[in-house]
Amino acid sequence: MSISRICQVVRRHLFQYSMILTGIWFLPASSLADQLAQNENLNPLRINGFLSQGYVKTDKNNFFGKSDGKGSLDFRELGLTASLRPIGKLQLSGQLLWRRAGKGSRHGISIDFGFLDYSIITKPAGEFGIRLGRTKNPLGFYNDTRDVPFTRPSIILPQSIYFDRTRNLALASDGAQLYGESRTDWGNLTAQFGTVFPQVHDRDTEVSILGANRPGDLKTRLSYIGRVAYELPNGRFRFAVSGARVNAGYDPGINDRLDSGLLKFTPLILSAQYNAERWSITSEYALRIFQLQDFGVPAFEKKFTGESIYLQGTYRFTPKWEAMLRYDLLFTDRTDRSGKKYAADAKGPAHSRFAKDLTIGLRWNVTPSIMLATEYHRVNGTAWLSSLDNPDITHAKQHWNLFSFQASYRF
Amino acid sequence: MTGNHLSSSLKCILLASLIFFCNVAVAGEAVKTVRPITHPGVGVDHLSCNLLRSIFGMRLRIWQDGSPIRVFVLPDNAPIHNVFSKQQLNIFPYQLRATWDRLTFTGTGQAPITVQSEDEMYALVASTPGAIGYLSEARIDEHVKVIHVD
Repeated sequence: MSISRICQVVRRHLFQYSMILTGIWFLPASSLADQLAQNENLNPLRINGFLSQGYVKTDKNNFFGKSDGKGSLDFRELGLTASLRPIGKLQLSGQLLWRRAGKGSRHGISIDFGFLDYSIITKPAGEFGIRLGRTKNPLGFYNDTRDVPFTRPSIILPQSIYFDRTRNLALASDGAQLYGESRTDWGNLTAQFGTVFPQVHDRDTEVSILGANRPGDLKTRLSYIGRVAYELPNGRFRFAVSGARVNAGYDPGINDRLDSGLLKFTPLILSAQYNAERWSITSEYALRIFQLQDFGVPAFEKKFTGESIYLQGTYRFTPKWEAMLRYDLLFTDRTDRSGKKYAADAKGPAHSRFAKDLTIGLRWNVTPSIMLATEYHRVNGTAWLSSLDNPDITHAKQHWNLFSFQASYRF
Repeated sequence: MTGNHLSSSLKCILLASLIFFCNVAVAGEAVKTVRPITHPGVGVDHLSCNLLRSIFGMRLRIWQDGSPIRVFVLPDNAPIHNVFSKQQLNIFPYQLRATWDRLTFTGTGQAPITVQSEDEMYALVASTPGAIGYLSEARIDEHVKVIHVD
């Protein structure tokens, strides 16, 4: 059998597989919904979706594709969400996502989440329940909905915390999640805690963690994730603490110089927001403890703590028009914020260890379902650049600018 | 060359902001009283502001008798929606939208059903068991039940 023939067969099977997956979500759901619903408004099935097309232009370095020169249109998001609530205490939810964002995100259709949610206790004063399946990782204010343009404060989320190059690791994981909510006159307290297996199987994550695409593969291991959030009853103030212990192992390939090592990643995020009618102020601070061990190579025995913070202001001139201003700081290693020690050890350029990003943006909610957004970033540092889009970080430029435009539609 | 492109992009953003500033229409909303209403079969007459907010925030999903709550709202940009959110829920429409989007796009809940007019709101709340919505006071009659907010 020729290679092209094999490719054809594989492609056909992949297509059938994705069709079956889609069917699992939508076919039984719609027939059940038909039976249950006499009138459209009693229908327990909801279908929502979004699509967006972005344009990214940089003067130096690449972000979301080959963005220097003429710019890149290689930034597209499509999502289809279905949820079915046959009874008040039970919900089945799923989301299919197709996303392109430079070389780091080229996986075709993926199941973004798919789980069963059962409320064991549901009372006016609060609720308690369990979710089983693939759930979004509850990290910070934005991680759970990071791929939905309408939920983001900007086209590109603050990269110091919402890295795009290790997004798959942060995105969603498979397992069980307990959740609870307490509603009182002095505020609402919500908590989520999950024992899960994170997603580590993509190239961008491997390159970010191990420095290159290695012969072996990262393997997911049991990990823990949680978030506790408090908000005033009217949502003026919102606070959250979230954290995770992400564990992954390395499965060496043939002729691999790496042993079966371990990755332990422990992010901790503090979030705060104030909401007024016209303006909102949001800030998040993160510490990321990153440890590699047992790889059998001295360069892969390391432990360091990264630090991130951003401060963001949003001003709503009218419900249709908003402006955003943000300053975002990332230090890969908080004991070497300038990257000088890293450069002195000849490991790479100093600017690859920090990034300071000043962003100004404008958003126009043309209709409730159409949004146009544009933003400009002035960046000092290259710490959050993807090495897939920028293969040689020593040639990256420390000071660079990014302009972006995005059109989004939802239903 | 590329630098010029970027600075012209920046100028476009600034220009757009300026054009926009000149065009901000001061949309004066006629002050109306908007009240929460339910299907006549719902066995509740009073709700605290906090519970009403939990219901419209789509976090409290069943009535005390265990039947599902069905929430109806007008579009985000409808003046009545704005008045109801601020007057009765003490929350801004953009906060409600953010809450509903988080529920929808994480799969942990559902958004309310959007109706296009007060006529439609009236007809659907009057005919759907477990329904809750809102109407301006002048349009309320005996086919729907008014909820008193404590």
